[in-house]
Amino acid sequence: MISLDELLALDTPPADLMLSQADLKRLYWKYRGLLKDQQRDQAYWAATNDNLTQAFLKLDEKEKHLARAYEIIRDDLRVASRIQQSLLPSNFSPPELDIAVYNRQLTDVGGDYYDFFRTRSGRTAIGLFDISGHGVSAALVMAFLKAQFTLALDHLEAPGAIVDAVNQRSYGFLREVKKYATVNFVVLDQDALTYAAGGGFGLVMHRAGVSTFEKRAPFLGLRQRSYPQYTLPFAEGDLLVMYTDGIPESQDTDGRDYTVRRLNDLIVEHGDEPPATILERCIADYEAFRHEVSDDVTLIIARRKA
Amino acid sequence: MKESEEKPVRVFGALLVGYAQACVNLNIVAGRRGAELIGGLEVNRWYPLSRLRRLERLVLESYENTGAIMERVGMEMMFGWYHYGPGRDLVQSGADFLRFQSGSEGYASVIDGPDSLLGEFTLVSEDREAGRATLRSTTPLNRDMERGVLIGGMKAPGDLDFVDVAYMPERQAFSIEYH
Repeated sequence: MISLDELLALDTPPADLMLSQADLKRLYWKYRGLLKDQQRDQAYWAATNDNLTQAFLKLDEKEKHLARAYEIIRDDLRVASRIQQSLLPSNFSPPELDIAVYNRQLTDVGGDYYDFFRTRSGRTAIGLFDISGHGVSAALVMAFLKAQFTLALDHLEAPGAIVDAVNQRSYGFLREVKKYATVNFVVLDQDALTYAAGGGFGLVMHRAGVSTFEKRAPFLGLRQRSYPQYTLPFAEGDLLVMYTDGIPESQDTDGRDYTVRRLNDLIVEHGDEPPATILERCIADYEAFRHEVSDDVTLIIARRKA
Repeated sequence: MKESEEKPVRVFGALLVGYAQACVNLNIVAGRRGAELIGGLEVNRWYPLSRLRRLERLVLESYENTGAIMERVGMEMMFGWYHYGPGRDLVQSGADFLRFQSGSEGYASVIDGPDSLLGEFTLVSEDREAGRATLRSTTPLNRDMERGVLIGGMKAPGDLDFVDVAYMPERQAFSIEYH
């Protein structure tokens, strides 16, 4: 006869197995104890499993809520995108210019905005703005700025005064919504143009000479300072180029910037070609260079007609 | 001044840490939340009962069927108490653990406060031959967790082959069988 402890230490029971009454009793309780442990384990894992099931059900429910919320946001963005498109000039193109425009927003609703205006005296004006951020808020700021420029153009002619008036009217609002916008605002005259700029990029090719825009004035909504204006010759055959930072600040796979110089050199090199051709060359060069699209891009190229 | 206002119910830090650690061990909470649960708790300090209630809610709000989970938390706490805490010095067998509850001795070592709020967790009767005992519990603690504490405390020394604990609400007592 062997003890229960000795028996349990064996791999297989001996052929002539005999246990004492006490050990048989212990074996009984050990077995019952194991069954009890198994019951407790089953109850515990069942509760854990229930919890997992509940968690998945809750997750499904949350996912449905999220999908609904996402759909609402998508609808809003679609509407905002259409509103934004309607803000951009579609029918009106300055008659004295042969003009080509590339405008691509990073998201459904972007922050780049350009527009053509007429001053009270009938002169053509071009505005190019890069509103901080993207999305619906940028589109709303865009609509706000369009309204402000339209108001200012009702009684002002000089670009410096116009941009200054818009900045004065917009400053409080833009600060409140934590937005700002670069601005390039050009008014065409006979054989010349006058511009006011805060942060935007511009270039004029007059015969063999090239001038770039002074852009040291602040962005709209950043400071309450007046905007100086500058006049450049802009006669028949001259080229005007305006763009936002989307192209020059794009990067290649090594993290190198495209740069303003590269874009300006390309424009100057092909300055004799039609605006649409120059635009195509610039966009092709940018597309070949950039690693990924990381910002809105707007490029306006215009040649003065006869 | 009322007694309860004079002396609120307090819980010993070791109990809270044991509870929190059990939740972490059982993956009831994990990661940063687990660290936050234990972080700042001191083993030798007394805390208001509300601190334990907060820990209890963590389980009660996370699970639909909490009975088996709270039981396992109680068991895990006592395994920790025995193997990594002072348990091994205080009890040498499963039955010892039961007797340790005489006169609410074990309970009083981790819960402090006026009798009216504290209740009792005390061994009422024991038949050693039959391996049966009755333990009365009127504490403000969770009964499923207490059942786990009794199972875990009695099984931790490793000398018992069978432990069964059932709560009898009508008698406010646990019926215990052990062999």
